[in-house]
Amino acid sequence: MTKGHEMTQSTRILTVDDSASMRALLLNALQQEGFNVEQAVDGQDALDWLATNEVDVIITDINMPRLDGFGLIERLRESARHADRPILVLSTESSDEKKRRARDAGATGWIVKPFNADKLAAAVRRIAH
Amino acid sequence: MNAEDIQQIFFVECEESLEAAEAGLDELKAGTHDDETINAIFRAVHSIKGGAGAFGYVAMQGFTHTFETLLADVREGAVAAGSDLVDLFLLALDCLRDHVDAAQSGGDAPDDAALIDQLTQAQAVNAKPEPSDAAEEEEAGADQAGNTSTADQDLDALLDELMAGGDTPKAAGTADKDGKEPAGWTVQIRPHAGAMINGNEPLLWLRELTELGGECQECHLTELPALDEMNVEEGYLSWTFLMPADAEHAAVADIFDFAGDNCTVTYGEQGATNTAATDTATAAPEPIPTPVETTDTKAAAAPKAAPPSEAKSAEVPAKAEATPPTKPAAEAPVRKQTQAQVNQSVRVDLGKLDKLIDGVGELVIAQAMLTQRLANESLAHIEELSMLDTLVRDIQEHAMAFRAQPISSVFSRVPRLLRELAGTTGKHVKLEISGETTELDKTVIERLSEPLTHLIRNAIDHGVEGAEERKEAGKDPEGTLSLSAEQKAGRILIRIGDDGRGIDREKLRNKAIANGVVDPDTQMSDEDVYNLVFAPGLSTAQSVSNISGRGVGMDVVRQNVKELGGRITIESCPGTGTTFTLALPLTLAISDGMIVQVGEESLVIPLAHVVESLRPIDADLKGMGSGRQLLNVRGQFVPIVPLRKIAGSCRVADNPSTGVLVVVETESHGCAALLVDAITDQRQFVIKSLDTHYRTVDSVAGATILGNGRVALIVDVDHLVQSEATSAASALHPPTPSQTAAEAELAKVA
Repeated sequence: MTKGHEMTQSTRILTVDDSASMRALLLNALQQEGFNVEQAVDGQDALDWLATNEVDVIITDINMPRLDGFGLIERLRESARHADRPILVLSTESSDEKKRRARDAGATGWIVKPFNADKLAAAVRRIAH
Repeated sequence: MNAEDIQQIFFVECEESLEAAEAGLDELKAGTHDDETINAIFRAVHSIKGGAGAFGYVAMQGFTHTFETLLADVREGAVAAGSDLVDLFLLALDCLRDHVDAAQSGGDAPDDAALIDQLTQAQAVNAKPEPSDAAEEEEAGADQAGNTSTADQDLDALLDELMAGGDTPKAAGTADKDGKEPAGWTVQIRPHAGAMINGNEPLLWLRELTELGGECQECHLTELPALDEMNVEEGYLSWTFLMPADAEHAAVADIFDFAGDNCTVTYGEQGATNTAATDTATAAPEPIPTPVETTDTKAAAAPKAAPPSEAKSAEVPAKAEATPPTKPAAEAPVRKQTQAQVNQSVRVDLGKLDKLIDGVGELVIAQAMLTQRLANESLAHIEELSMLDTLVRDIQEHAMAFRAQPISSVFSRVPRLLRELAGTTGKHVKLEISGETTELDKTVIERLSEPLTHLIRNAIDHGVEGAEERKEAGKDPEGTLSLSAEQKAGRILIRIGDDGRGIDREKLRNKAIANGVVDPDTQMSDEDVYNLVFAPGLSTAQSVSNISGRGVGMDVVRQNVKELGGRITIESCPGTGTTFTLALPLTLAISDGMIVQVGEESLVIPLAHVVESLRPIDADLKGMGSGRQLLNVRGQFVPIVPLRKIAGSCRVADNPSTGVLVVVETESHGCAALLVDAITDQRQFVIKSLDTHYRTVDSVAGATILGNGRVALIVDVDHLVQSEATSAASALHPPTPSQTAAEAELAKVA
């Protein structure tokens, strides 16, 4: 019983979103569920930070300046260290084409914004290795 | 951080997004855009849409969706961004701003039906298939699929067994408890190596299948190699699941939407579990919604009870531990969770900030008093005191910086104002903005909006001519309004200029005489006449429009600016335009000053004005008659202005050669040399308004408390020099009538 709790405690999540309010919402929701949350403001920021840090799960927006979500996923999949890191896309977009692009880039799953905190947490728990 | 705080962040963000979108649209309109421009506009609207959804602003979300859809088409090149479309976007942006304002104030959302129609039509004209319907259906589908997922806890337990035991008919039995009919069809899944490498989690797929009512019939172990041949990244297991008859193929296909080629999914009839596929798919043929998709609208909803903690999966060793550390392990814990690396900020209640700044003001005074006291004890130069001095100054600078905001937040509202004015007056005006990054105190910024708006309305309504009149005058039919901001001589100068008809000096004067504002015999300089614009109840506009022209306003403008410790001046050139210049203080609270002695009084000269101070030699002094003198400053002659007028003392140095001259610079009247007895100190002072404690006194900007506890008056250098110059000018050069004849032709005025 406590073991599951510990897993949540130690799960470290990087959220990537250029919107401060969205980052705050994610932070609130995920911290409430006991996750360790790190934040990046766009794809490039995330890449820079991941160059020297590790996380268990990455949750990324798609539309961002500098480096968008697709670009981020592609770059991470190319890197040896983050090739198998679970990446959830969190976007208001829901078109097949976008999803296909995300999947081809190597995304693990897709969640449509606005998100439900419980379901998001459940999804993170499921994919966190 | 509570939901309300986050909502506030959202509104700040909306403001930024609106500004970014507006800037982008302006570029589009001006034709100075590049590929990134439309992207930035799209992102801005998209970002508002995301937040609107999260915070439940349904109307705003709907509107941004329509807006965004059209923008997306433009971005993808399906629709050309013609000037009509840019105008439509600008209207849509104004409407979006109204949406945001309504959401923020709790008011009703604006009526956007007509605009939504226009946006939809603009898109339809380009005959691109509308993706949003499909998206919505899809979301609805996902919702249904999502609703079927409930008992995570049981499923996890089940999955533990699946992973641990492999072939577990018992597990299938447990899942049977929810009464699903054990008849239907089968699905066999075989994850490949790529699945794990791409971050997919086969366990997740199994769980999703179970959520759809599937039961694991068999875990195939035949491909499992010997332990020493096993590659951790390779997949060796496959499973056969029995799905209930009512489970939809599409729903199962959805689960593998993201699997792509990384998993072979084989469908079959019941009882044919071990046989080959009847329907083999290496990828989901129609990638529709994916496993973890949710579409709930209340993202900011209150936290629910913590999820069951016993839900634990068997793959336990946490990823973080499994990953070979590439950096010292100590590094990760060092970095505290939460904050973003960039744009870190803390939101502070403005009242608290103001208290801090007031406190800093008092600290400055207290420090000055301490210095004075120590000086009396001959301790003025101790090291501790200079340390304190540096610290107080640093604190003050940082505290004031909290309140500084770029003036762009005011300037950015101007384009909309111009669009509205173009609608009501029919005058289309180009906008030129410069210096929008200039920073000003927040209070100044806030109180600047109203006078600025009035001046701009005035400029468009009265200053800029109609297109026909402009053509006749040989001008571009489109007028130009220029806005600029810069920091100069310790003040912020904001200029609002138009290229209109200019002020009709004679007409303005006649009107003022007719209204009894001035006496017909009064000799007036150009500046005096122009300043009549600010006299209450005076407007020379021939028709009173609903924009301006009621004669109220300009005096209010001047009052507003004055309350901010600023001044407003006018320059006008008949036929080519009028420029209003607002000179505003950098901050409203603390300033640097030079303390001077004049007779028995101490006065403060704001350091921002001070150029240099000197003891003149006789050769540099030139008499001008009537007791006036000029000082030769390296070849330039500047008037000498004795400060005795302010000090009100008769025992004051009148002879420059026995006193000290402080050369000051003013905004509109060049340099002057202020004659004082001595310079006693230079320090920061807190401005206390005389108006609120006493009354307005000419040439005095306020008062401050010195270190010795005495009150000293602060010299309003601009006003002092200006009034000296005016009296000197009227004594020497009465205005000539020839100037006015030339202006008589010119048109109406502000």
